Amino acid sequence: MALDRTKVGTRYPSYRYEVAREKIHEYALALGETDPRYLSDGDDCVAPPTFAASFTIVKGTAAAFADERLGAHPKLVHGSQTYTYGDRPMRPGDVLVCTPRIADISVRGANEFLTVAVDCRFADDDRAAVCSEMTIVFLGSAPQQADDEPSTQEPA
Amino acid sequence: MTSIEVGDELPAVEATSTLTTSVMYAGASGDLNPLHYDQAFAADVSPTGGIIAHGMYSMGLASRALTAYAGGPEHVLEVSVRFTRPWPLGTSATFGGKVTAIADGVATVSLVGQTEGGDRVLRGTGRIRVRAESG
Repeated sequence: MALDRTKVGTRYPSYRYEVAREKIHEYALALGETDPRYLSDGDDCVAPPTFAASFTIVKGTAAAFADERLGAHPKLVHGSQTYTYGDRPMRPGDVLVCTPRIADISVRGANEFLTVAVDCRFADDDRAAVCSEMTIVFLGSAPQQADDEPSTQEPA
Repeated sequence: MTSIEVGDELPAVEATSTLTTSVMYAGASGDLNPLHYDQAFAADVSPTGGIIAHGMYSMGLASRALTAYAGGPEHVLEVSVRFTRPWPLGTSATFGGKVTAIADGVATVSLVGQTEGGDRVLRGTGRIRVRAESG
């Protein structure tokens, strides 16, 4: 089943995420990080940039994947990922308000490309913490004839 | 830290993906897709037929190299990668990059991750703030 392209632009309800010190430690250890601030029990503790994965990948796509009209299916791979950061790193105790949106749906060959953007802001001052843009490749579900895609875009 | 210049290479980060690194990353990030730790599941759905590392684990290592070079997460403006090949468990990979441009106090860094066998698991771009005293 092909993805429903009329879903582009859809915004899903915001969710909250509270940054916990122990999750920052755990994430830093999983990457073998050596910056002592990531493992600090003091006020200098900050999160490594891709800590954002903890609240943008699974949580960020949950609403879209549960949206039956969108037509997501399990045969997928993570194609690309962009994080754009705000003025300061995330710290323990930060509460983030995260809003997912379907940014794009496109077709290349037999595959479909779904881009989900998640705008994450600090709850206390509404400033940008991080914006995630994730492209998921759905394998083999492109419509047989995509009427708005020229056939020259097929891979050689 | 010395100043940042075009052509600088990031100190590389090397890692071997194992069941342990995969389970640690799954728990830390909350991405519990069994493709990254369950061989029976991976045999059905993996592009290699075996367990592969999380794409985000590889991005995390590339970002670790970028962030260490930048001097900390407060200097990182953007990290962007494409996952180009799967990274099979049991293989090592190296993550690094090079400064390609500096303009308006921002350095652009190309990022690459490559397995010991020469497969490119990711490539991308980072943008980091260059410290005021170096400009």
